Amino acid sequence: MTYEASARKERGAAEKAPADRTFWGRLSAWAPYRALAAMATASPRRQFLILAIFPILWVLTQHLGPMLQMLRVSLTDAYPVAPGVEQHFTFDSYLRFFQDPLFWMPFFRTLIFAGVFTFCTLILTYPVAYFLARHVSRKNQMLFLLLLLIPFWVGEIVRTYAIMILLGNTGAVNLVLRWIGLIDRPIPFMYTSFSMGVGIVYLTALYMLLPLYSALEKLPKSMNEAAADLGAGAWTRFRRVTLPLTLEGISSGCTLVFLISTGFYATPVLLGGPSTTVFAETIAGFFHVAGDEWPTGAAFAVIMFLAALGISAAFQRLMSALRKGDTK
Amino acid sequence: MNRKNRIILSCVYWAFVAYVFVPLILMVLMGFKDSNFIGFPIRSYTLEWYTGVFDDAETISAFVYSVAIAVLSTVISILVGTWIAVLLEGRSFWGRAVVFGMTVLPALIPGIISAIAFRIYARYLGIEPGMGAIIWAHAVHNVPFVVLVVMARLSTLPKSQIEAARDLGADPLIAFLRITFPYLVPAIMGASIFCLLLSFDDFVRSFFLGGYEPTLPVLIFAKLKSGMSPEINAIATVALVLTAVIGVWAERFTRRMNKDS
Repeated sequence: MTYEASARKERGAAEKAPADRTFWGRLSAWAPYRALAAMATASPRRQFLILAIFPILWVLTQHLGPMLQMLRVSLTDAYPVAPGVEQHFTFDSYLRFFQDPLFWMPFFRTLIFAGVFTFCTLILTYPVAYFLARHVSRKNQMLFLLLLLIPFWVGEIVRTYAIMILLGNTGAVNLVLRWIGLIDRPIPFMYTSFSMGVGIVYLTALYMLLPLYSALEKLPKSMNEAAADLGAGAWTRFRRVTLPLTLEGISSGCTLVFLISTGFYATPVLLGGPSTTVFAETIAGFFHVAGDEWPTGAAFAVIMFLAALGISAAFQRLMSALRKGDTK
Repeated sequence: MNRKNRIILSCVYWAFVAYVFVPLILMVLMGFKDSNFIGFPIRSYTLEWYTGVFDDAETISAFVYSVAIAVLSTVISILVGTWIAVLLEGRSFWGRAVVFGMTVLPALIPGIISAIAFRIYARYLGIEPGMGAIIWAHAVHNVPFVVLVVMARLSTLPKSQIEAARDLGADPLIAFLRITFPYLVPAIMGASIFCLLLSFDDFVRSFFLGGYEPTLPVLIFAKLKSGMSPEINAIATVALVLTAVIGVWAERFTRRMNKDS
């Protein structure tokens, strides 16, 4: 008997076996289900359509839809439309952005802050990731990493509040400084760009740490040893070997942290002051008041999104150019 | 030289650990302070603030509200995310890259912009601000994470198992339910916990899509805006302990899963 024939025989036997013993057997023997299944699997094309139609509709209407609707609202003069008012197409909301420094100042401030905070996060977490990947034994690596992960499960508001307690005039930092005798009156850390920076770096550090760690972990130790054998000092090894080979991790970590930093709302409200108003607060302002401000808010959100995305894309392109330049 | 480097780096690591933990520890401690005034030094301690949390109807109802939103939005995210992952993994079709791009889009949009877009779209769809709107926004926002986790697990599923099931007469749906789905369970569990925490901790979407009833983070924010008090520390600590415990448990869970596969 050939293999084919035996397989066919076995399949026949399986079909004939009492199929109603299990739930699944009963289900596949149930006539309406069989008819439905036969209809659905009549052709690979139809089967694919049944599988694909819901996900595609979902991502179009739920993932893309909100962004498109925001874009559409930003190009109208009234939203939500009051009864008896006609809606017009206009660019006014976008023009408004350039007319008032009250609008574009926070915008540029947000981008500069996000850039600076991203850089600070990178400087702070790179040695930590380096230590984890290079100087901790394999067995302990997960444990050391897990230790850092725990606080990051805690929410944005709770961690922001923790920073408020740390930096307040009667906070822990001022207490310690006074106790050492460095100062005799508290330093007003709070409601400045400094307190905001400490808070945002605190919230985003993990998103930088993980890509850096995985890039450093992949890097073979032999590379550094070869460089050392060829006479490179510690600094040269880092600059010529480790750094270029972890550019990819740096690039993805920075992009992620930059995008997240531009989107914070509660943290700047709670930790920042009047001189550190970020664009998120400006945008939010249009949604607290009467409805006719919505198009302006939407337009500003679109501007913010395009700027953040554009800068991230430019940064990634720059980093990949650097990478290619180094491997040449 | 290497030794000196190592010592410096380990100091940096432990300093970072301190930076990450000290603020939270101080916050927990401050909840025990026997005074209305937030600030150091703490001279006498009390349990009053912590016991007060469990008597405060407003906090309890915000907590229940947050948990309900987290659970319901997670169910939606898991169902939709798994479906999308099954479509995208190991299949090539025209426009796949576009569908994938749109799938991960909500995870890449900065918080405030995503909240505004959801707010406008909810208005467009006629969803009133409130529980339904928050559940919907959290569900959509969390789908990309489910898709990525489930796709990763799906890529390690031996194709031969599905083929064997099909050979034995299972149709694609039954093959999915009996072979693929049980294989995906660990990934789905991990993704669920991740979604629960994301939803429970979320502020910006809950804030812009919420009605009069606050979620726990929104309640803490509102209380903070009217002034700091050890009462807030106690509430925040309860939220902190809950999320940290679930987070650690999830971490162990996913590590065990990775060992299995």
